[in-house]
Amino acid sequence: MRKTPLQKLLLHFANLLVIGFILLPMSAVVIGSLLAEKNLAGDTRAIIPGDITFDNFRVIISRGEQRGQVFEQATYLPDNVKKIYHALANSVVISVSVTFLTLIFASLSAYTIVKLGLRWVAWLLSVNVFARFVPIIVLMIPLYVVFRKMGLLNSMWGVIIALTGFLLPYGILILVPYFASIPRELDESARIDGCTRFTAFLRITLPLSTPALASYGAIVFIIAWNDLLIPLILNNRAEFMTLPVVIASLVGDVFVVFNLMMAICLIALTPSVLLVLLLRKFVVEGLTAGGVKG
Amino acid sequence: MSDGAVTARGGEVRPPHRFGRELSPRVLGVAMNLPTLLTLTLVLAYPIYYAGYLSMHKVSLVQLRTGVFPFVGFDNYAKVLDDPLFLLSLGNTLLFTAFTVFCEVVLAVAIAILINQQDVWTSRITRFLILLPYAVPPIANGLIWSFIYNGKLGFLNRLLYSVGAIDGPIDWSGNADTALYAVAVPYIWRTLPFAILLVHAALQGINKELFEAASVDGAGAWYRFRHITLPLIMPVIVVLLVLRTSFAVAVFDEVLAITQGGPGDATWVASWYSYKKGFAPPFDIGAGAASAFLLALLVATLALIYIKLLYRRVD
Repeated sequence: MRKTPLQKLLLHFANLLVIGFILLPMSAVVIGSLLAEKNLAGDTRAIIPGDITFDNFRVIISRGEQRGQVFEQATYLPDNVKKIYHALANSVVISVSVTFLTLIFASLSAYTIVKLGLRWVAWLLSVNVFARFVPIIVLMIPLYVVFRKMGLLNSMWGVIIALTGFLLPYGILILVPYFASIPRELDESARIDGCTRFTAFLRITLPLSTPALASYGAIVFIIAWNDLLIPLILNNRAEFMTLPVVIASLVGDVFVVFNLMMAICLIALTPSVLLVLLLRKFVVEGLTAGGVKG
Repeated sequence: MSDGAVTARGGEVRPPHRFGRELSPRVLGVAMNLPTLLTLTLVLAYPIYYAGYLSMHKVSLVQLRTGVFPFVGFDNYAKVLDDPLFLLSLGNTLLFTAFTVFCEVVLAVAIAILINQQDVWTSRITRFLILLPYAVPPIANGLIWSFIYNGKLGFLNRLLYSVGAIDGPIDWSGNADTALYAVAVPYIWRTLPFAILLVHAALQGINKELFEAASVDGAGAWYRFRHITLPLIMPVIVVLLVLRTSFAVAVFDEVLAITQGGPGDATWVASWYSYKKGFAPPFDIGAGAASAFLLALLVATLALIYIKLLYRRVD
């Protein structure tokens, strides 16, 4: 099946097209965040009109204090632009907590499925995987009313609990096959050495499962970091907004300053993109094992 | 305590790592599943039941304050089904889903085969970059594309102008005829990596000798694809169809970022409709829940149709 030079050339060209498609929005967000809107509006045909400027980032990082040349004459700056630190902190706290909680809850349940042979847990979690095919808006409306009654609206906990519940069922798709691949003998010899079942889980199963835990954890973190609808519906007060909610709040703003928004988008997408590129192997394994949502 | 060690002092001593008594498997099983059970009950089981409850009751701002939800039977469903905007939203959702799912399956198979070429060095670059869109927050993705599309400031017009494809600016997302597709392209961009990965994993599972044997017999590339690759990856394609359909039906973030349902009502989709019903004035949560329930019904129907049509062929 050796390829002719022409076939190879065509395949290179196809790769070039795909790479171009992948990188088009990435270059748009980078270039856009480094330009001034008046230069963009002044020349609608050049690819990079005007000089590169870091003023978009400067105004965000200084919470609107330092306007720089670009925003010198701007009389209005959307309020949420100034809250970017808050949003960043909220996003980090929520995604990290959700990642840890789902890892703990899911590995506990996966262990009982594999080593204690609890069929009903496997059944229950599979049913819940299917329940997740239901569009999320179906669940968010009742969840809003329930959380309202419980006083969980406008809090970090509400979002953390909701995301944990939604992402938990996927755990069995990734963790159960991996736990099952660990030889039973290791578990049994630990038990002979005096471990209880639970300490055997902590000292044998978990340490040996780091690749699966990394896959699942990375995917959960990315989904939690990127999620919009859950914090958008549960939290409407500015101090509880996550980065995606802040971005969504700017969409409706009458004075859309695209370059400022591109800078915020770049800040929001950098952590998850870096994570994916660093943990590429684990994310690929998790996604193909789990068939998790895209 | 039967497996505890005995020391020189004669007393029973627990090994150093041991904490607590050994629980019976039954108790341990329940204890270890308690966090999962509580979370799933609160976040999935109860809300699914409660969505049905809400859809049969009048729930709006006033009722949320008083806490009394009067029973209205199927009135909410009747109201939603009578609303031309809901039917339009459903129609848009179906069109959006059909378009994105078709494009994704075709592109996923093509690109998965492309990155599976071990002897083409550019394929390695594509393979490295392929996951990148998966990590981009959907709302940021939508906003970036909205910037790309912008008639005055956007890069699409600049690129097209540079290569001489257009003379004047085009407002891609502001035109009622193209707006739904303007939302679909970013959605495809973001969700394609997952589809490619699934197909790629299936491709790697195919025995290479099959292709070599076919080549020796003089089979061309298309013949090998049609008679070896395609039948072997068919089960994955079925999975992909079900997954992608159920998620595409729920599209929300990109609509919010790019068009907010506009221009006019050209990009109102089902999730957007339910969200607007329930969480924008006049906050008709009952109708929102009813419309969301109908959407869930649509997903279930589509999934069943796929499984009936395709699994029979695979078997």
